[in-house]
Amino acid sequence: MKALPNVCSMSDSINDAAALNAEIARLNRRLLRATTARHEAEAIAERGLRDLFQRQQEIALLETIATAANQATSVEDAMCHALAAVCKFAYWPLGHLLLSDDGVGRTLHSTTIWHDESNGQYDALRALTESIAFGNGTGLPGRVVDSGAPAWVNVGSHDADAYPRLPEAKRAGLRSLFAFPVMIGTDVMAVLEFFSMKHQTPDEALLRLMAQIGIQLGRVIERNRTKTKLMHDAHHDPLTQLGNRKLFLDRLQQAQRRAKRVPGYKFSVLFVDLDRFKSVNDGLGHQAGDQLIIATANRLSSALRQIDLVTRGDEDDGGDDIVARMGGDEFIILLDNISCEQVPVRVAERLMSVMAEAFVLDEQQVIVTASIGIVQSASGYEDVKNILRDADIAMYQAKQQGRARWVMFDTAMQQKALRRLQLESELRLAQERGELWLAYQPIVSPRDGLICGFEALLRWDHPIYGAVGPAEFIPVAEEIGLISAMGSWILRHACRQLRTWQHDSGRSMTMSVNLSAMQLSHHGLVALVEQTLNETGIIAGTLRLELTESAITAAPEHALGILLQLKQLGVKLSLDDFGTGYSSLSQLRRLPIDTLKIDRSFVSQMDLHDDKRQIAEVVMMLAHILGMDVVAEGAETVAEVKLLGEMGADFVQGYYYFKPMRADAAEAAWRGQSAMRT
Amino acid sequence: MKGIVFNLLEKAVSTEFGEETWDKLLDEANLSGAYTSLGSYADDEIVALVGVASKTLNLPPSDVLRWFGQRAMPLLFARHSGFFSDHAETRSFLLSLNNIIHPEVHKLYPGAITPVFDFGVDDDGGLIIGYSSPRKLCALAEGFIKGAAEHFHEQAEIEQQQCMHEGASKCVFHVRFHQ
Repeated sequence: MKALPNVCSMSDSINDAAALNAEIARLNRRLLRATTARHEAEAIAERGLRDLFQRQQEIALLETIATAANQATSVEDAMCHALAAVCKFAYWPLGHLLLSDDGVGRTLHSTTIWHDESNGQYDALRALTESIAFGNGTGLPGRVVDSGAPAWVNVGSHDADAYPRLPEAKRAGLRSLFAFPVMIGTDVMAVLEFFSMKHQTPDEALLRLMAQIGIQLGRVIERNRTKTKLMHDAHHDPLTQLGNRKLFLDRLQQAQRRAKRVPGYKFSVLFVDLDRFKSVNDGLGHQAGDQLIIATANRLSSALRQIDLVTRGDEDDGGDDIVARMGGDEFIILLDNISCEQVPVRVAERLMSVMAEAFVLDEQQVIVTASIGIVQSASGYEDVKNILRDADIAMYQAKQQGRARWVMFDTAMQQKALRRLQLESELRLAQERGELWLAYQPIVSPRDGLICGFEALLRWDHPIYGAVGPAEFIPVAEEIGLISAMGSWILRHACRQLRTWQHDSGRSMTMSVNLSAMQLSHHGLVALVEQTLNETGIIAGTLRLELTESAITAAPEHALGILLQLKQLGVKLSLDDFGTGYSSLSQLRRLPIDTLKIDRSFVSQMDLHDDKRQIAEVVMMLAHILGMDVVAEGAETVAEVKLLGEMGADFVQGYYYFKPMRADAAEAAWRGQSAMRT
Repeated sequence: MKGIVFNLLEKAVSTEFGEETWDKLLDEANLSGAYTSLGSYADDEIVALVGVASKTLNLPPSDVLRWFGQRAMPLLFARHSGFFSDHAETRSFLLSLNNIIHPEVHKLYPGAITPVFDFGVDDDGGLIIGYSSPRKLCALAEGFIKGAAEHFHEQAEIEQQQCMHEGASKCVFHVRFHQ
């Protein structure tokens, strides 16, 4: 401030007073400027602080929502947290959740999930809200669903009539309503609505913030959906949407626990396997195979539902049956809380009858049957996996007994199945351990009793089980795919033996080798025979390949083609066990067969039973008319041999002459005869 | 106490009694008087200013506070008219204190300690206002209520039934408004 001038005279003092006033005025102006500047600075700072505060609150809100979204145990939980956080942020006393009913937001479910800071002040408004079906443009939530955007309305606004809850909101002291959508993509999954005590027009910042929250919450719903889907996928078969093995085992476990706890509670497990599914799959293609599986799933499910209705009505609490797919063409059924042991049998019969109707796949009618194994809960299982195992065993028995039937599991089956399993693993090792060997049974001319040839027979001496019969282990070898390798070994081994003996004896003895049905369908058979003939150099006509009727009837056209090719190599063909199956005479005529073998069942005691003798006689006549040789098997007595000789049997094979024997014994046998002849 | 309160007091005193009165109050209270709205100042300073005013005007301190509250309302309106615009009457304005006005105050003046009001309705439809604050400035609150009523062209008939200065846990006012 400038120093005041000294007062010297009147005029000076007047001048000084004027100067002083001017100075005061100037200082006042300066003070005003300073005050105004201060006010402006304060206003700027206030705005800045307010904005900063607002940003901080927004960030805190988003953090709260994000944390809640990540920690929420359910969608509802996350929404609850969001409602509370938004109410706190915006000083809204009431918030509400509406959920999309159908997942695409066409209709909204007005939930009972609220954030309410009052002491019951808004109860009437809440009850009204929960009674309204929003969606299709109804109320503010409906508007949000239609537009997919936030919306708001104030009490007293020009379009207030369109909002049914405004009068009640006003009565409760509220002045406006704001709502925003929770979206996944373009679908409205939920709507969050809030009531405010003052009129409001949300600013850009608020709308942006709420949109962000909507996206965050949308992710929670999406994540939850994914989780639900993963859970579903982990327990269901994608092709049929039936439960899978895991789900089934869980349910079985529950039933098991209940059976231990509740006296009189029973359940049953049915293992259903389609018969000849593989031929449908291979013949019509995988797509048709899939169609068949789906159609089967549907038939089984609906049959089970009908049965359930019929047997239980609606009076019983109990039944909670389930069909699951184990994979491939295997289905498994749990019959829960059954009244008696007859129930699973009745169900199995019913299932077989619904399966019996033709399926139409790719415009073709396909008949498929099913084999069913049944296990009852009463058998005292500890591990539910064993229930499945035994149902599987019983199903396997049903297949063995000719398919299209049910079999109830019993413990003897398990012994059998166990032995089978052991045989399987032992058989894989048998060949390399040298436990397999060939026995040779001489085939003799009944006229002079001389050995004309041998039938090579596979034998298995197991170090522990002892001798295992071919009837037991050959089916096992067929099933586990060992038969081809085994068949090749037999063929080579027998042919080498034959070459040695032919060479040593100088005679054209024959060797009969059995072919299984599976070898016949194997495309490498002709090449194998050709190669073996070349390797050993034996005359093709001295090798006789023996087939059973059933091996041919499985696929007659294919078999015929193979037989013709074998014939072209020059080998002879024998039909084994003739007369035991559905011997088809027309088929017999078409097949290039050289020898018929009459089964031992007709030969044994034929001297005591006229009918046996007559059948044998007819078969022999028939063979000779068709230009075939006859070998009679199983001759044990002199009377049988005498009769066979009289009937004109070309060859006889049986204990009367020789049992099957090791190579050295067989060699001794023909050497003995040679010595006698010379 | 937030500087805004001192600013309002300065404005009220200067308007009614002249700027020199305000200077005199500051001098007698031995205060520098440099208050900015955003600053925070000791509660003692407002107590000292009210004390000096009370002596000067020969009025009890509560009357000074009541007068100040009443005069402050138009000044607040000039500065923050948004707080008032949603309301057509004193009653709804007062009811918005906790949920709307005080939250806004916090946004503007971080660290402000605002009193908590509770509201009820008596048998005659009058408003029951509870006031609770460690500052015990119930007279200021009463003045604010009067000032607010004047803003909305109403008359407030206020009866204080409890007072913290008389050992009550909170102050309670019964208020009736007349057009």
